[in-house]
This record gives sequence, structure tokens and C-alpha cells, in this order.
Amino acid sequence: MIGKLANYIEERTHLSQMFQEQMVDYKVPKNLTFPYVFGVLAIVAFTIQIISGMILLMYYKPYDTLAFDSVALFIWKVIPYGWLFRSIHAAGANFFLAVVYLHMFTGIYYNAYKKPRELVWVMGFIIYFLLLLTALTGYVLPWGQLSYWATEVTVEIPGAIPGVIGETISLLMRGGYTLGNIALGRFFALHVLILPLILLGVVSIHLFLVRAAGISNPDGKPYDKKKEGVPFHPYVTLKEGAIAMFYLALFFFFVFFYMKEFLPGTNWEPANPLQTPAEIAPEWYLKGYYAIFRSIPNKFVGFVTFNLVLALILLLPWLDFSPIRSARRRPLFFIMYIVFIIAGAGLTIVGTLQATPEVAKVGLFFTALLFLFFISLPIISFIELGYSKAKGGEQ
Amino acid sequence: MEASRRDFMQYVVGAFGAVAAVGIAYPILKSLGPNAAAALQSKVDYDISQLKPMDVRVTSWKGFPIFVMMLPTPFNWNGPQRNNKYKNHNKDILGNHNVYALIGKCTHLGCIPLWKPDGDPSMNPSNIPVFHCPCHGSIYTPWGDNILGPAPLPLGIPPQTLNGTTLEIGTPGFVKKFWDPYT
Repeated sequence: MIGKLANYIEERTHLSQMFQEQMVDYKVPKNLTFPYVFGVLAIVAFTIQIISGMILLMYYKPYDTLAFDSVALFIWKVIPYGWLFRSIHAAGANFFLAVVYLHMFTGIYYNAYKKPRELVWVMGFIIYFLLLLTALTGYVLPWGQLSYWATEVTVEIPGAIPGVIGETISLLMRGGYTLGNIALGRFFALHVLILPLILLGVVSIHLFLVRAAGISNPDGKPYDKKKEGVPFHPYVTLKEGAIAMFYLALFFFFVFFYMKEFLPGTNWEPANPLQTPAEIAPEWYLKGYYAIFRSIPNKFVGFVTFNLVLALILLLPWLDFSPIRSARRRPLFFIMYIVFIIAGAGLTIVGTLQATPEVAKVGLFFTALLFLFFISLPIISFIELGYSKAKGGEQ
Repeated sequence: MEASRRDFMQYVVGAFGAVAAVGIAYPILKSLGPNAAAALQSKVDYDISQLKPMDVRVTSWKGFPIFVMMLPTPFNWNGPQRNNKYKNHNKDILGNHNVYALIGKCTHLGCIPLWKPDGDPSMNPSNIPVFHCPCHGSIYTPWGDNILGPAPLPLGIPPQTLNGTTLEIGTPGFVKKFWDPYT
């Protein structure tokens, strides 16, 4: 019976032929290293967010007087296993962004953004940016003190733009002069439907482009697909499946034992527009940008600077135009990559500290380091271009 | 063929994947099922100390409207009967108990019947106490047996027991099994 049904479907869809072409005949370099797994883990994390989000959506009420209770009481206490799905969704957002950051660092390390993969990088950047927006819009939904005030601070940020423009953007984001029902409804629609829908589309394009341009390889050399390639299935699928299981184990370890890190106490108080809690800081995945914004005395310059960092990340394929790929074969790039990591980690740590003038100076130092990385890329590229020409166009 | 290391990997990853799938399917199904508050509703205690004979009070059990009845003792009822296999069905279940709970939901289309202790003019004789369904005129005896109108079955009876002055609806006692004509 099952065999007949399988035959029926097979005759009409040629699924096994497609599987053969797309999974088995698709060859990837056999020297792929561990960090290449983060792309698949990002898909796993995205799936976890979609499933847990669908369940939360059944019970969540996007209305200012109902939102807090629908999450903190109804989902958390009344719905069987509601606590589990909220925990998964809250921790999952952090894990998702962590995996995406690691995926990006991998891409930068192996120069996976270079020709012909520039569009892969651009699409990946759009995913990253949309993901930050999704995280921000989702953050307000529990309507706790932290949700409310973190969002209040966020919508004030465009106010750094002088004149009426910044004010107007803030006003449009809030839909009024205070953060209330209208903003909650907008953020809700963005978070549960609009952004995920766009994300699904962009992720599909990203994956299509990876297939179209081919995957990079850690050595950064062109490779012979027939000799040095291994079938995607079962070699990579199996390895990544096993690592996905380890990822799930780690993820659920946090979900079950360390949820306090992801659901801080301040957010268990309902939002109060007349009282700001003692400490308001963005989530760790935004702390780097936050540190840049905060360290620069002039608000507008700070605003421009952190947006400039985002733009420079997007423009990496064109900043780094050296024909030589992968930090493995680029000692100068490797050193600057370490500087980049130190700057990113330093800014993130600065973002967690109390804002004092001394901390702001440290923040400025790390901001300078970050820009040093971006400025060094064209210089290194020129040096390597000359080296490559001297060696007769080596890649 | 001898099992290779790859086969082993496949089985292990497959097994862990299956565990993960079951592990997430279980809470998903549980979250869709009745919650603790709904489960509490499956046992309802009703205080009958304030009830007078011929009184009907309404409460709720598992989402059903419940009539808590008190009949006088002795109680003679000589209305018409319907001669089918459900004749005196509920009366036989309830026996001689004068305090009991019925499900107040017409077995025809689910309306809530009205208690007419002085009788309903639509029937003959018109002075005997009955339940009358306002939707399509079905008539039930005080025990919920359907005697007239389109109702196909007697009213439901929840499992119940009488403990002092508390009628425990949902706890098997003098009615052990839920007579459920609605599914």
C-alpha cells in the first residue's frame, strides 16, 4: 500500500530524481571545516522559532491591557506546557542570533563573500538585518517593564537625526506620542507575519544563491569538484544531522536549567509607562551597536556611526577585493580578523557596563579598532593584489 | 551486509531525531489539550442544603449546563410515556433518588430546556411538571426521559454521588457511568 502510494507520487513528481540531483550529485569540498555547520544550525533555529511561535500565537493577545497577562499568566501558567514554548521561543531567539553571528564570522574568516558569492553575502546581510528587526519587534510583545522601556529607547533612537526627520520617524514607529496599543499592534503584525514571511523568502533566495554560486572552501582555492568533492548526501547531511542533535541538546539544556538568563526578572512586571526600571540595556546581540551609539558624545554622530558599521558589513565584498581568499592564506587579513573579533567582543562588553565617561573612552577605542579593520581591508587587498601579480595571477 | 560506521551514524542520528520529534510532539499535543482549569471542571461539587422540593438550579460541568433537581418525596408522576427502547431509561438509572443532576441540553439540537413545574399548555394533561424545550417543543419528564416532540434520546446524566448535602457531579456514585447522548 505504502509502496503503491510512493510509486504514484514518484511517477508524478520525480522526487527521487530531484533528490539524486540536488542532494547526492551535488558535490561539496571534502575539506569543509566545523564552522560550515552554522548555516544549517541557523535553519534549525529558524524552524524552532516558527514552531514555538505558532503555538504562542494561539494564546497571545496584542492589546495593552491583555498582553502581559496573556503571556505571563495564560501562556506561562494555564496552557499545558505553555511555559516550555515561551522558554523555547525566548531562548531560541538568542540562540538563533548567536548562530547567525557565528555563521557571519565564519563567512568573513573564509572570505566566503568574494566573487561569485557577493549576492550570497548581501542576502545574508538582509537576513541578519531583518532578524534584528524581528527580535526587536518580538521583544515588546510580552509587555513587561523591560519590553516596554527597551522598545521606548529603541523608537527614540531615530530621534538622534536632527530636525523634524528623526522626530517624524519616531512618531511613525510609535503611531502616536506614547508607546501604546497602536505600536503594540504594529509590532505584533510585523513580528508574527510580515517579517517572518519576508525572512522565509529571503532565506530561500540565500539558499538558492549558495547553490547557484557554489559553496566556498576553507583553503580558498578553486577545487576540482570531481576529484575533491564529496556527495552532499550522506556525507554532509549526516555530519550536520549529528551536530544539529548536539545543538538541540545544548539548547534544551539552557531552556530547562538557565531560563533566568533569557527571561529577566524586570520583565515579570507589567509595563508601566510612568516608571522606568533602574537598568535598561538592549539584548546582547545589539550591545555592540549600542556601545558605539553611547560612547560617542554627539547623538547624531553616534547614530550615523553605528549605521555606518552596518553598511560597511554589507559592503565587505567590495572593501576586500584581494584575489586571495581565506584567512588561512592571508596572514595580514588574519591579524586584522583578530582585531575585528576583539573590537566586536570589546564593544559588546562595553555595552553591558554602566555608562561612565571612562567606559565611553574604552568604547571609543574599540569603535576605532572596528573601523581600523574595515579601513585595513582595501589596503591589504592592494598589497595582496601586487603579490598576486608578481606570482603570476595566483588566487 | 556488514553495518558500516556510516550506517551506525545514520541509526544514531535517526534515533536521536526521533526522540527529539517525539519530545516536541508530546508537549505540543498536551498544550492543545484541556488545561488544569478545564480539568478542574470535570469534578463539580454542588451544595444542595438550600434546595427546596421542585427546585431546579443550574450549574456547569465539563462545559455542559447542569440541572440540579430536588423532587418532593413521595413524588407521583403520571404523564404520558413514549414506547421505545428508551422508555423510563433515565428513571431507571436515577432510581429512587430525589436529588440528582441532569445535563440541561436537548438531545434534538442542543437548546436548554425550561423547567415547567406547573406543566406546559402544549400537552395533555397540561398540569404535570415537565421540561419543555423552547426551540422545537420537545418534552422531557423530570428525570429527563423524552416523551414528546422531536428529541430522539433522553437527557444526559453525569456520573454523580451524594455526600451529605453535597452533590458531587463527576464522581461515580449512584450514577456510575456518564450517560452521554450528545456524541
